[in-house]
Amino acid sequence: MSALAERLRSAARTDTGKVRARNEDAFLDLPERRLWVVADGMGGHERGALASRLIVDRLAGLPDERDLQVRVQGLRRCLHEINRRLHQQLTVTAERPDPVIGSTVVALLLEGARGACVWAGDSRCYLWRRGRLYQLSRDHSLEQQLLDRGELSPQQAARHPAAQALTRAIGVAEPLSLDILEFDIFPGDVFLLCSDGLYRELSVGALGAALSLPSPQLAIRRLFDEVLGGAARDNLSAVVVRP
Amino acid sequence: MNDPLAQLAAEAVADPDLTYFAFAAGARSGPRVPPLMPTSAALPEVLCGRYRIERLLGVGGMGAVYQACDLLREQFGDPQPYVALKTLGEDFAEYPDASALLYSEFALTSRLRHANVVQLHAFDIDPLSQRAFITLELLSGCTLDRFIDEHPAGAPWGDAREIGLALLEALAHAHAAGVLHGDLKPSNVMVGDQGLRLFDFGLGQAQENRLPGLPQLCRSRFAAWTLRYAAPELLDGEALSAAADIYALSCVLYELCTGRHPFRRLSGKQARAMQLQAEASVLAPPIARALQAGLAFDPARRASLEELLQAFRTAPQPSSRLMRWLGRWPA
Ligand SMILES: Nc1ncnc2c1ncn2[C@@H]1O[C@H](COP(=O)(O)OP(=O)(O)O)[C@@H](O)[C@H]1O
Ligand SMILES: [Mg+2]
Ligand SMILES: [Mg+2]
Repeated sequence: MSALAERLRSAARTDTGKVRARNEDAFLDLPERRLWVVADGMGGHERGALASRLIVDRLAGLPDERDLQVRVQGLRRCLHEINRRLHQQLTVTAERPDPVIGSTVVALLLEGARGACVWAGDSRCYLWRRGRLYQLSRDHSLEQQLLDRGELSPQQAARHPAAQALTRAIGVAEPLSLDILEFDIFPGDVFLLCSDGLYRELSVGALGAALSLPSPQLAIRRLFDEVLGGAARDNLSAVVVRP
Repeated sequence: MNDPLAQLAAEAVADPDLTYFAFAAGARSGPRVPPLMPTSAALPEVLCGRYRIERLLGVGGMGAVYQACDLLREQFGDPQPYVALKTLGEDFAEYPDASALLYSEFALTSRLRHANVVQLHAFDIDPLSQRAFITLELLSGCTLDRFIDEHPAGAPWGDAREIGLALLEALAHAHAAGVLHGDLKPSNVMVGDQGLRLFDFGLGQAQENRLPGLPQLCRSRFAAWTLRYAAPELLDGEALSAAADIYALSCVLYELCTGRHPFRRLSGKQARAMQLQAEASVLAPPIARALQAGLAFDPARRASLEELLQAFRTAPQPSSRLMRWLGRWPA
């Protein structure tokens, strides 16, 4: 594949949205390395933005390997290291003994006809395959936990006051447990990585319609036009990949 | 107004005598630069028209360290125009004297010249954003927290000894020059091709009366630490001392040699309340004795740097891998 063709197979964008004062999301769009990431930081002041940027910048520095298993291992080790760093190596002040600094992460790694998705938190990975949308990642949120327990309907779970609280993220607890999904890639597959600021503002139909457009660049434009045409209450980020 | 930081800042502005509230009152050393506008704008992409921020290398709680390209060096064809660039976080940028806090780190570290202490280049303030920053040598390799994590049963004695001696010598040099570190921990140490470097004197302090004229951090007004490495007396509010540095370093060395924190990751205060003693059976007896003495809860009874150095210099090599594996040591 030519360098240009390679670069064109993915597109990415982030935006502060219309309400938040700063953007705490970060993304990585590295088609030449077959690595894509979205991270959604949290914490006061610039801490959230630092956490998501640290994840993205450190992952960008991982060695380029050709073996998917080796790459997944390297990526996991790096995320565990950042988790420990943000959790137990932090200098704190007496005024703020327990600062929040953390981030979600969702990463997509492709190698030949195989792919892997690694995540913690509520940033998502979707797959558009043969006209249907699949959510590959499963949120680490209270809402998802309530649903999994089967005690509440989706409507009830979504109304829970702490529905959006994360049950896992990088930097908040030890030990960190990362979820991983490995899969085969089929011709025509399209992947979407995004932060909650994007998917909470769009219907499943709107996501699918954008991913069915002929190029990642068009898909990104459609997704952002739709969210920014609405309330855009949170930072939003998306990466669209057509392997 | 229940944010204590906001309260402190307001207090500082209201009372002209307390403008530099992070520093001891009366320490005739209020910075001579006028207080800078507190800034909370995002970090610019290029600072002082010279340093282009390239990537975030690490965060430590107080600030952030980036890799930056020195455009001036690049212009002169330097094949390695990269530097590390440290700024304070916005939490601290809110303090009216935040830049002085960073300057104190610069001034203290600049007084040290040792192969195992990081070399700083310059202290600067970006005129547009009013951001203060330090440029320093860009270190390769990994921080000691990662090295320790990669050796869950403790680093091989040869490595532990080399790292331990380098760290002890760096700290001995600092103390001899009248500089206390104040925040020794694995993530403030880098091991790589260039050898070992101790850095981050951000909570450092000049030993009493040793470097007159330098601003003094006042811990009763600005208390900061890393919980798992802070000496118990620091957590009680006592002033930083050489003994507190020795406690923190002993924690690091114990973790390096055994792969585990001496008090199961409890704080020094908790460990003291429970009267814990660091488990010593996995260590060579002279090292065990020295580290246990370095971890004494009573600062008056703590080992000296010289005693620790002596133990690391003379401790016998385990006679074989098997002996090491069995955890037995030559007498
Ligand atoms: N000179 C350097 N070269 C490369 N990385 C560095 C350098 N200085 C610091 N870092 C990285 O940045 C992190 C934070 O730096 P530090 O000076 O300790 O900041 P803080 O005062 O916030 O703790 C370090 O733990 C390390 O990972
Ligand atoms: Mg979000
Ligand atoms: Mg540090």
